[in-house]
Amino acid sequence: MRITQQAKEENRKKILEIAARLFSELGFEKTTTRDLSSAMGMAKGTLFNYFPSKETLAMTMVADAMEDGRATYINRKTGEESLTEDMFLLVASELRALKSFRLYIGPVLESCMSVFSKNATCRAGERARKEHLQMVSDILATHDYELVPDSITVTMYWSLYLGILAHWSRDTSDHQQETLALLDYSMRVFAMMVSGDMPGYREL
Amino acid sequence: MTSQVESITSQIQTKKIPATSLLRMWSLGSTHAKIAANFLSYAVQRNFLDGDKRQKAFNQAQLKSALQLLGTMGYLRGVVMKVGQLFANLPFIIGPELVEIFESMQFQAPPMHFSLIRELFLDELGREPEDIFASFDRHAFAAASLGQVHRARLHDGTEVAVKIQYPDIARTIEADFTSLGILLQTMRFKGDFQYLRAHVLDAKEVILHEVDYLHEAAYMERNRLEFATSNIVVPRSYPEYSSAKVLTMDYLPGEHLQDFLAKDPSLQQRNHFGELISYALIHSFFKFHCIYADLHPGNFIFMDDGRLGFLDFGCFRHFSEKRWQFQRESEEAMFCNDQDKILQFITKVSFHDHPDEIDKNWAELMLKQVDWVVRPITTSGPFDFADKPYVDEGVALFKELIHHGYSRTDSFYNWSNRALLGHRSLMYRLRCNFDYGSMYLHEAKLAAQRSPHL
Repeated sequence: MRITQQAKEENRKKILEIAARLFSELGFEKTTTRDLSSAMGMAKGTLFNYFPSKETLAMTMVADAMEDGRATYINRKTGEESLTEDMFLLVASELRALKSFRLYIGPVLESCMSVFSKNATCRAGERARKEHLQMVSDILATHDYELVPDSITVTMYWSLYLGILAHWSRDTSDHQQETLALLDYSMRVFAMMVSGDMPGYREL
Repeated sequence: MTSQVESITSQIQTKKIPATSLLRMWSLGSTHAKIAANFLSYAVQRNFLDGDKRQKAFNQAQLKSALQLLGTMGYLRGVVMKVGQLFANLPFIIGPELVEIFESMQFQAPPMHFSLIRELFLDELGREPEDIFASFDRHAFAAASLGQVHRARLHDGTEVAVKIQYPDIARTIEADFTSLGILLQTMRFKGDFQYLRAHVLDAKEVILHEVDYLHEAAYMERNRLEFATSNIVVPRSYPEYSSAKVLTMDYLPGEHLQDFLAKDPSLQQRNHFGELISYALIHSFFKFHCIYADLHPGNFIFMDDGRLGFLDFGCFRHFSEKRWQFQRESEEAMFCNDQDKILQFITKVSFHDHPDEIDKNWAELMLKQVDWVVRPITTSGPFDFADKPYVDEGVALFKELIHHGYSRTDSFYNWSNRALLGHRSLMYRLRCNFDYGSMYLHEAKLAAQRSPHL
């Protein structure tokens, strides 16, 4: 029996909702694909038609949350931000949207957004990376800078970004304020790198 | 000099607050090394210099060291900044040039940008500043060691100052004290190790209290009510817009000491504010049995209408009833110049059982210091706080006590020393000449009437 595109989309949405509930109830590590398929009332094979692995499923949720975070960023942006503030606001808004995924974002990113791979190893990861970098590129453009695809700047930025996410996932400080300090520092470094305005650069 | 300060300040802005002990210790160590190198270079040079040239070289070495220290302190932003503020209380030791630099730190510390402020607000109060206030200035107008202050307006039109703490500062301070603990371990075989350790733990307790703005708000409110009918204005705090890391309070318009003095005020004007500052400190001390331990010029606002703004109640040390009793008795002995009793007091303060056990040189220095401290109180009539011999004597004593390095004292001695030197320094800068003794003794008498058993 062939199902319609609309039904497919509804199933996909339902899987994501149930997965979010199970991940928060049982924890990401302890939730198995069997738990997911039985909670959905569908065969494991059918579940794999939608999401090839538990990680990809989680990455899809993460990518959606990042998208929500970027939408929030656009609403919060006042237009008065410096490049550092602008970049900080983007990543901070994403982190806020990702809050419910914090404790298991590590293994998800490791398998879907590896820093060793030029392209992400899953479609959801690739989408998240491309859309995030597009937003970074847009921000740079509003400050009269250009982000050249596949340039060293992109690699540097992406390393910083994944580093921040990794630190945040393990941050035990109140409201993850240590990550805020790290994010502040990282975005200052990135802004300095982009603008070429690095103190002491000439002496190096 | 200004451009040097600006250059270093702009570099500091690019540095995050390092929160791990090791990194902070390394930064601190490297600055100490730089300062040592500067003074060593002067020590070598001075053999070949004479007169003014020698003084110039010394000033340059001092300035260079202070700038490097400023770099590190702005970077560390935590406990070390407190040391800077302590130095600013001692213009007679470090010279007016350096006081200016340290004061610039108090007001021009590296700022947090507005995007960071917004995140901190969401974490602390659940809403963005613009959702809470009718208006909120995105740029800080003042910076403190643990945070920065923004102007804002409430929806009812009240002008407020909003103090916001740097992210993760409590852990930064914890890390500082861990470093200090590690450094102290190297001295564990020294006889006075336990006293050094006690001082460090005491300082940690006071400074960690300072990190909790709700603690500060409570003490500020007690002072506000106490001074409500006087010419001293303590800001009202707004609990609905405050948390442990955000403190919203009344904004007090006026100027700081430096700007006030720049207008070359008359002796009458200087005495007026000098008396208000003294009254605020003495009255609060006797009323609440607390030492106001953060005595630097930035905490006083010279208001146009002649009132004094009294700010920043984060750093204070409360006396236990027993310790307060001891304090009162020792003060009485000092005012009566009862040498035997003073010696007994010094014996107790240094944890000895008998005066004979005390280091004779140190006891002698302490007796001299007691005499210096109480002189403005025991002098009948106006006391000239700008009197050069008095100031020089205090400087010499303070230096000698530091040089002596005697740490076997109770921790209250540190705080009261800090408060006293801070007060004398402010009075010196204001070049005050008024009857301080009558004011002090009157407040002491009122306190005795309030609590005759103490």
